[in-house]
Amino acid sequence: MRELKIGVSSVRGVVGQAFHPRLIIDFACAFGTWVDGQPVVIGSDTRRSSPMVRSAVVSGLMATGCRVLDLGVASTPLVSFAIRELGCAGGICITGGHNDSEWNALKFVGADGCLLNSARSEELFDIYHARGFRLEGSIGAVTSFREPGLVDAYLDYLFSSVDRDAIRRSRLKLAVDFCGGSLGPIADRFSAGIGHPVLAVNADPVPVFPHPPEPRPEHMGQLARAVGDAGADLGAALNVDGDRLALVDHRGQARSEELTLPLAVLCRFRRRPGPVVVNCSTAGSAEEMAARWSQPVFRSPVGESFVMEKAMEEGAVVAGEGSGGVAVLPWAATFDALQTLILIAETMASEQASLADLLSTIPARSMHKGAWRCPPNLAYRAVEQFPAAFSGAAVEAVDGVRLVWEDRWVHARVSRTEPVLRVIVEGQSREAADELFTRSRTVVEELLKESGEESL
Amino acid sequence: MKSPPLKIGVSGIRGIAGSALTPQIVSSFAAAFGTWCGQGEVVLGSDTRPSRDMVCAAVEAGLISVGCSPVRIGIVPVPTLQHHIRIRSAVGGVCVTASHNPLEWNALKLCGPEGVALRPEQFARLLDLYHQDVFPRVGFDHLGEVRIDGEAIDGHLAKVRSSVDLDRIVRRRFKVAVDCCNGAAAVAAPRFLESLGCEVVAIHSDPYQPFPRNPEPLRQHLAELCRTVRDRGVDAGFALDADADRLALVDENGEALGEECTFAMVLRHVLARDPGPVVVNLSTSRMSELIAAECGGFVHRTPVGEVHVVQRMIEVGARIGGEGNGGVIVPAVNPCRDSFVAMALVLESMARQELPLSRLREQLPRLHMLKERIPASPRTIASFLALMRRLYRNETLDLSDGVKVSWPDRWIHVRSSLTEPILRVVAEADTPEKVRHLLDSVMDYLRPLAPPE
Repeated sequence: MRELKIGVSSVRGVVGQAFHPRLIIDFACAFGTWVDGQPVVIGSDTRRSSPMVRSAVVSGLMATGCRVLDLGVASTPLVSFAIRELGCAGGICITGGHNDSEWNALKFVGADGCLLNSARSEELFDIYHARGFRLEGSIGAVTSFREPGLVDAYLDYLFSSVDRDAIRRSRLKLAVDFCGGSLGPIADRFSAGIGHPVLAVNADPVPVFPHPPEPRPEHMGQLARAVGDAGADLGAALNVDGDRLALVDHRGQARSEELTLPLAVLCRFRRRPGPVVVNCSTAGSAEEMAARWSQPVFRSPVGESFVMEKAMEEGAVVAGEGSGGVAVLPWAATFDALQTLILIAETMASEQASLADLLSTIPARSMHKGAWRCPPNLAYRAVEQFPAAFSGAAVEAVDGVRLVWEDRWVHARVSRTEPVLRVIVEGQSREAADELFTRSRTVVEELLKESGEESL
Repeated sequence: MKSPPLKIGVSGIRGIAGSALTPQIVSSFAAAFGTWCGQGEVVLGSDTRPSRDMVCAAVEAGLISVGCSPVRIGIVPVPTLQHHIRIRSAVGGVCVTASHNPLEWNALKLCGPEGVALRPEQFARLLDLYHQDVFPRVGFDHLGEVRIDGEAIDGHLAKVRSSVDLDRIVRRRFKVAVDCCNGAAAVAAPRFLESLGCEVVAIHSDPYQPFPRNPEPLRQHLAELCRTVRDRGVDAGFALDADADRLALVDENGEALGEECTFAMVLRHVLARDPGPVVVNLSTSRMSELIAAECGGFVHRTPVGEVHVVQRMIEVGARIGGEGNGGVIVPAVNPCRDSFVAMALVLESMARQELPLSRLREQLPRLHMLKERIPASPRTIASFLALMRRLYRNETLDLSDGVKVSWPDRWIHVRSSLTEPILRVVAEADTPEKVRHLLDSVMDYLRPLAPPE
């Protein structure tokens, strides 16, 4: 299987296979052509292959005449902020995000700081496929842009969305697991921002991650122990590129990443209730939370660019996904784990509540997530078979297939970032969720067996 | 307007940066080169052209992807890079420089682990890898990594200093002028000369400005240096090309000696103490043979191109070699044309003989040389050369690189340029009248074949 995924707003692949310098340069040339040679911001995560990818990106952008402002190691939200702050035409984030170490990716950001939506991505990919690059003009330049002032301006901007003094007065004890990722280098400035040191775990950038980079309870053992040992009030596990967040409570209990979004809704609504946007795979608790304030929830296809596009359309105050990626609007143009953390810390400080207290108000749900390796043609066929395999459900076809009952749902779709079939189920009880999940697995197993493929 | 195409040849891969020399082609070529070298360190440096960062980034990406680690040494003279390959025990080196091509051009000059440009058969293998376009890309945990090394220039200059009689040079406290052509020479030449105890007047020494003159150090391009020498009353003027592999001299009277004198003067100085075999290319002045006859030594001739000269030097064990265009090669210091070696040896000669440059020039045989260039396509070049072979079929011919016709008192050499679509014609004789007559008679035959300009 060719390990390459060209999806809306990003191109991802396994380094050494399909994701090689020539392909990367072609995409960088396409992006440089798309912004017509105007200035572009780039930032990289800390993974081993990022310097190679960066070199390829720089050469492609320069060849199409762009001035490249290289932030060095920088999170996706920081790149987004820098584009807006410096008035650039766009940006490229070099980060495999939640993918494992062998992957890397380019994420394309527009002048508004948002990942390219599907229409703009199509313009970009048209240029790429036609190889119609802007190579006849003068060569651009590259500048290393590592101003500490930029990071401070970014943090000030985040803190302007909350009552910073409340956080400072509370002397809330925070432990943060940076997973050796892009936000580690700004740990000290973040500590300065909240007025006292955070307990930093895995803050040093490392080329190979200390644990799988997706923030989910099974990867949060180290953080949970650190919280317990230090007696911290709150533990925060950040994604490598700073867009996803999952939490550990003061008892050292790692909590599901699915809870981050409904919690953010709760915290954001204290100040300003408003529309919420989530993707089709996100827990139903978002609707229940919003319903308490009589606010609507809009569902978009899975993927940050779809969620944010819908959020802009609907004037949402919170948008996000069950994976722990949350944008607090109107400040953020991308999912931003640090801003989400600041919002939750503010609420804990102002209400003098523990994380466990806050989470106890969120309706309990039981979910299962499957990521099943499956040849691409079979993955799409499997999705098509879901409606017939279940009965009595309303069928939504926003992104793959979502089958909804009164008290439970199942969502099956082909991943945009990995060669897998994703199936997510939710029920009000553990047994209900188990049953949906087992049934889903059987659907896929049977198809694989018919086609002579190995079982899951 | 359609831009000129890519030119791929032994002396490198070159074209207008961006439109012909695209980052895609550069990264693939670098991946092919990394494959040819094998995994290890590859030294990477550049001249001062505005496209250098773009081309270097593409080279880095290609090298890293096949498991090589680029060692960035920044803006450096070409001989510095070649010297540093051996110092780091690197598996190869890439210099991003288009030498004397116009500013919007760029090129990759590729060197093997000995610090020598690739030989034609090595280059052929590299080209084969490039054309097959399948590179052994490594997984993320075997990728190369970028290393940064700021020691290359100091190491190179120290090595050159250690090869000459430093005390004697320093004691003379020479006053010299140097024209760096705003090239990579500017980052090293003035301080090198100061470290030899010289008082230095540097002109065109800002590497971030465009070239102020044609970068070839030919007599007609050196008016400003000659004026500086006269106005400032210095002992010697040194003119370098932009990548600092070639040197031309201006004497204390402000007379440009002509680039052919550089090698001849250094050769006489070296052979006087250390007779032995000498290697020069076919277009180099016959002064070499006359000096070798006087001091002891035998002259071997090779096709034009640094790589050919160096290769023959290794074969015959020559301790000195060079080219008439101002290139001096002393393999014990650096197996390539090195203007720093040349400057040090000229100063050593002045110090040892206690004579001014004009007097050293007088010691050299008096010969007269003329050079011409005719624009030509690859097809017309073939017909030019066929005509030459026919015209002079009864004379003494050397056909190893174009056509060279020799008589006891004169010779003429017609060949295709390695870097430009032109035909180069060089003639030399013992009197000005003879050389003019020889050149004119050949040009009369060739000109009618040239396409209208």
